[in-house]
Amino acid sequence: MSAGSLRVLIVEDEAFIALELECLLEEAGHVPVGVAARAAEAVAMGRDLAPDVALVDIHLADGPTGVTVARALSARPGTTVLFTTANAKRVPDDFAGAAGIIAKPYSERVIRAALAYVAGRYHGGTPAEVPDGVVLAPGDRGDGAARTDLPA
Amino acid sequence: MIVLDAPRQAEASLVRAADAPSDAPFSDAPFLAAFRASEAPMVMTDPALPDNPIVFANPAFCHLTGYAADEVVGRNCRFLQGPGTDPSDVARVREAVGRGEPLRIDMLNYRKDGRPFWNAMTLTAVRDEAGAIRSYFAVLTDVTGTKQAERALAREKDGLAQDVEARNLALQAALDQQTALLHEVDHRVKNNLQVISSLMLLKARRSRDPACRDVLRSMADRIGALATVHRLLYSLSDVGRFDLRDFAADFAADLEAGLDPDRIALTVDVEAVAVTASMAAPLALLVHELAVNAVRHAFPGERHGRVTITARRRDDSLVLEVSDDGIGLPADIDNPEGFGRDLVAMLVRQLRGRLAFEDLGPGTRAQVVLPLGPGH
Repeated sequence: MSAGSLRVLIVEDEAFIALELECLLEEAGHVPVGVAARAAEAVAMGRDLAPDVALVDIHLADGPTGVTVARALSARPGTTVLFTTANAKRVPDDFAGAAGIIAKPYSERVIRAALAYVAGRYHGGTPAEVPDGVVLAPGDRGDGAARTDLPA
Repeated sequence: MIVLDAPRQAEASLVRAADAPSDAPFSDAPFLAAFRASEAPMVMTDPALPDNPIVFANPAFCHLTGYAADEVVGRNCRFLQGPGTDPSDVARVREAVGRGEPLRIDMLNYRKDGRPFWNAMTLTAVRDEAGAIRSYFAVLTDVTGTKQAERALAREKDGLAQDVEARNLALQAALDQQTALLHEVDHRVKNNLQVISSLMLLKARRSRDPACRDVLRSMADRIGALATVHRLLYSLSDVGRFDLRDFAADFAADLEAGLDPDRIALTVDVEAVAVTASMAAPLALLVHELAVNAVRHAFPGERHGRVTITARRRDDSLVLEVSDDGIGLPADIDNPEGFGRDLVAMLVRQLRGRLAFEDLGPGTRAQVVLPLGPGH
């Protein structure tokens, strides 16, 4: 695995979005390790596959369970969680342990840039700038700024 | 008029008082008759007697209270009080009597048959020439009707207040429901846009034919521009407004990601111009088409150059310009950018604007002037 390459778990109930995300990740040099559409499945895969990154949608096949999933996955050291959601208002103030939010609809660029940032920040890759399409969790911003820039 | 046997004691006392000053200009007898005839209930007490008893009560008083005159004369007025009488009112009367001060008070009193009535009473101390209090004189008014009306009004006001409160709650609930619905629709729109663009990109990845891949990618890019609009539209509290500068920054970053920075430079200079939500999508597509046209077609081969996007407000119009320093206006009518050009023309028409292309030699400038409509 090359430097900056991440093992990524996709937690997403929309099959097309998940599949496209897998292709995009591969194209960007990352390794998609699995796709989960439900909370229990996601937590189990997080435990068994020990991904570097989990991209977590909030609305899953079994309801708005993404927040719980994020909490469980981020509890494991070594896994960085990023929400990918069209419903950022559902994200609690502490981001449920997630490092940031990628607002849907996202562009390929934002996904690439977000993963490059996570690789640099948490997984020994080259430091990268925070992409403009990503809202970082309060702890990661380090400035205690209010979440006024949150998408709806 | 009820004719009443006035208590002798009272008459005697009045007559005695009237007799006293020999130079009195007129007799007291007409006054006594006037008090008796008055429809206003009146009562007089004598503080010189033990317990300040009533010494005179007129027929109107008897009519109001239901007592005969001989039932009240000689008694202190407190027999008018009852279980509903406010003790603080009684205290005020006692205090006024004690100080010899006039008093105007509304208090609940009781008739002989036990029925209560609201008594609006004026109490006056009557002094002799030396200033000593000789008697107390009270005029009563039955204001039960007024009091009841006041109470009914107060009840009605309370009822109205409760009504307003209930309506406010209902409105708030309706608003909450609408807000939840808006969020739900917003979420679905965004999610669906992501699904649509994912579908196109998936198909593009699997297509062997480069031309087909290109078409699918360019359609996905257009949907991406619309997706950006939706992401920005609902990120503000005011969902009716859209800031072109926010869009341009986001769009430029996406466009730049697909460019070779050593070959094509992108400059964006867009003012913060708020446009209506209904303008947002066509305007975003317009910016997208013009910019992508320039990036794709102005620099064939390995040609280097710069694309500049500017937008500013001029009076009630938005002036959008996309210029390049590339090869200039294409002569070939059948070139694949034809669709992009058609789209631009359609969008400008939809936005009721004007479009002009200018040959910069080298390069092209597309200028679009769009009316911003009322509210700017």
